[in-house]
Amino acid sequence: MLSPKQMSRATIIGHKDILEQTVNSLHGINSFHIEDYNDEEQGLKIGKPFENADDVSNKLIKIRSISSFLGIKKAEVGKQNVESLFKELDTKLVELDDEVSKRTDKKNEIENNLKEHDTLSKELLPFSTIPLDLDQYRGYENLVVFSGVVKDDIELELSSITKSYELFSDPKSGTIVLFVLKEHADAVSDILPDFAFRELRVPEISGIPAELLKKLEQDIVNSQNNIESLNAEIESLRTKYSDFILASDELLSIEAQKAEAPLRIATSEQTFVIDGWVPNEDYDMLARTVEDATDGRAFISRTDVTKEEEAIVPIEYENPKISSPFEVIMDLYARPRYSEIDPTSLIFITFPLFYGMILGDIGYALILLGLAFGIKKWVKSDAIKPLMNILIYCQVSTLIFGVIYGEFLGFPLAGLETHGHYIPGLIAGFETINLFVSPFGNEMVTYPIHRTHLVMTMIVVTALVGVIHINIGYLLGFINERRKHGVAAAMLEKGSWFIIEIGLLLSALGYAGIIPTAIGIIVFLVGFVMLLKGEGIKGPIELPSLLSNSLSYTRIIAVGLSSIYIASTVNQIAFDMIMPDSFGPMTIFAIVIFIFGHALNTILSIIAPGLHALRLQYVEFFTKFYEGGGRKYNPFGYIRKYTEE
Amino acid sequence: MAVEGVVMMDPAGLKAIGAGLAVGLTGIASGIAEKDIGSAAIGAMAENEALFGKGLILTVIPETIVIFGLVVALLIK
Repeated sequence: MLSPKQMSRATIIGHKDILEQTVNSLHGINSFHIEDYNDEEQGLKIGKPFENADDVSNKLIKIRSISSFLGIKKAEVGKQNVESLFKELDTKLVELDDEVSKRTDKKNEIENNLKEHDTLSKELLPFSTIPLDLDQYRGYENLVVFSGVVKDDIELELSSITKSYELFSDPKSGTIVLFVLKEHADAVSDILPDFAFRELRVPEISGIPAELLKKLEQDIVNSQNNIESLNAEIESLRTKYSDFILASDELLSIEAQKAEAPLRIATSEQTFVIDGWVPNEDYDMLARTVEDATDGRAFISRTDVTKEEEAIVPIEYENPKISSPFEVIMDLYARPRYSEIDPTSLIFITFPLFYGMILGDIGYALILLGLAFGIKKWVKSDAIKPLMNILIYCQVSTLIFGVIYGEFLGFPLAGLETHGHYIPGLIAGFETINLFVSPFGNEMVTYPIHRTHLVMTMIVVTALVGVIHINIGYLLGFINERRKHGVAAAMLEKGSWFIIEIGLLLSALGYAGIIPTAIGIIVFLVGFVMLLKGEGIKGPIELPSLLSNSLSYTRIIAVGLSSIYIASTVNQIAFDMIMPDSFGPMTIFAIVIFIFGHALNTILSIIAPGLHALRLQYVEFFTKFYEGGGRKYNPFGYIRKYTEE
Repeated sequence: MAVEGVVMMDPAGLKAIGAGLAVGLTGIASGIAEKDIGSAAIGAMAENEALFGKGLILTVIPETIVIFGLVVALLIK
């Protein structure tokens, strides 16, 4: 529970004849982590992929491109039988490819046409009001045609040059088509810039523009309809083939994995050597499966992990199911190393504990609990699930602390008599019970604990929680260090902290006059020297962190109070608005403020306590013992979702 | 005038100002410290996502400043 899964190194050696069976059987059991071979200097060569590798990867590329074209999404569908899928794979893939490419080609063609029509109709539009066949715009020997747009009327200036011209114009858009004799062309083109003339290209087709446009519009509508019907066909293809695509994608991925496995394996002319890691508990199963598959022709051996190998062993967590969601939090920081303590199960306790201590509100706990269960139910994602589980654990803890603190959405549940005036609670008749006077700040400890009235006490309590947490960290550090470098080193590096702490405690007792101060100082100095020897100059520099780290835990009360104050401010604003007895627009406004304010605080209630609780683990706790940096255990295999054997 | 000013000083108000300064100034200080670390951490994460944990830790280290500010503000109250 507190350490990663125990591994052994396994080596499988055999003749190349049985390589395929070996790879297949290894893939089937999905628990062998292949150590990639990449040291060709040792004389062995990296293997060649199996013969079907090209074929499989071609098909895989095809199916993936079709899948992305059709927009296939991962869904929960029934599992398909591998054998029958294999049989129909080729024919069905060809058929599917054919159907899809037919439609894509057609769609592309129509879309290209549509684009052409679009540009043509844009070009035709200015000429639409001029009743001339486009053929009449060109092909003259003695005439020059000016077609374009101008501002203002040009007839007056034009008639000063020549009387023999023909002008068609559309005053609305300013389009003109002007026919003049060739000898006047230069003079006309000189005056045209005065009217901001911009030439328009005449499309190289024949027909009256207005009629052409009408026809084009009809064409465009037709093409759009065609595209829509094609889209519908593609949609129906998607629903029809979705199962097949998902299943065959998986099948081919598995085949490709197997076919390319020799690339990770060392081979000689006739033999192969597969090197890798397997969890101890799975070794017997592995040996049996491989032997069965190869009729005992493969030689399998195992060795225990050596000290040097500890740095490269792939790490697999081994935690009870209940605390396994917290592996996500561990991975976010770093996987443990092989010989190190895996603190997942400790975080499983302390993370929700700190979260609950910070938030501690029945109302928010219930809202977030509902939210977490809802998301877990509706969002089918493997990445979301552990996070939601963590959120649920945190809310359970929040609920417990909510009962201890007696808070509901920032309202106190119990009435409280303080400094002569009375604050009513949410539950009528539920009164705060005085328990005892706390030794800090002369405050009265009560049930429920009113955090807002026990600030001093809570600051001290949270700092003490910090001291305990940090010392657990040093203890774990001691164990880790002992495993790595022996008791002496552990004593110097981590044990010295305990001695320093004891020294400080004794000095405090000495200050109070209970024992001679000298004892405390001597113990402290012993610890200090040990630390100096164990950690070097780094140790004394880190000494003040003992204080700052414990004080850092006061964030548990500080962040909690800020959350209460936000909630009670929202409540106060809303209830002050609602106070006039009559029901009016203000009442609605007050309700809106109440809902939005608490919605905002709910979101903050995930982020703030979550991040702070996380930080207390990562910064204050982990730095005392945790190194991390282990390699992820990634067994050779595949977790089938859409197919079954 | 000056005498009147002194009379107007309310100890509760001064306490509130002190508490406000404690939170506000430490908040600004944390912000200034975190902004550089944060952008560097994001840069490192863009290169290697596995650095998220370390990046988060380094980014939130100066945040202790504002927590101390908050604690001091609570003590002033």
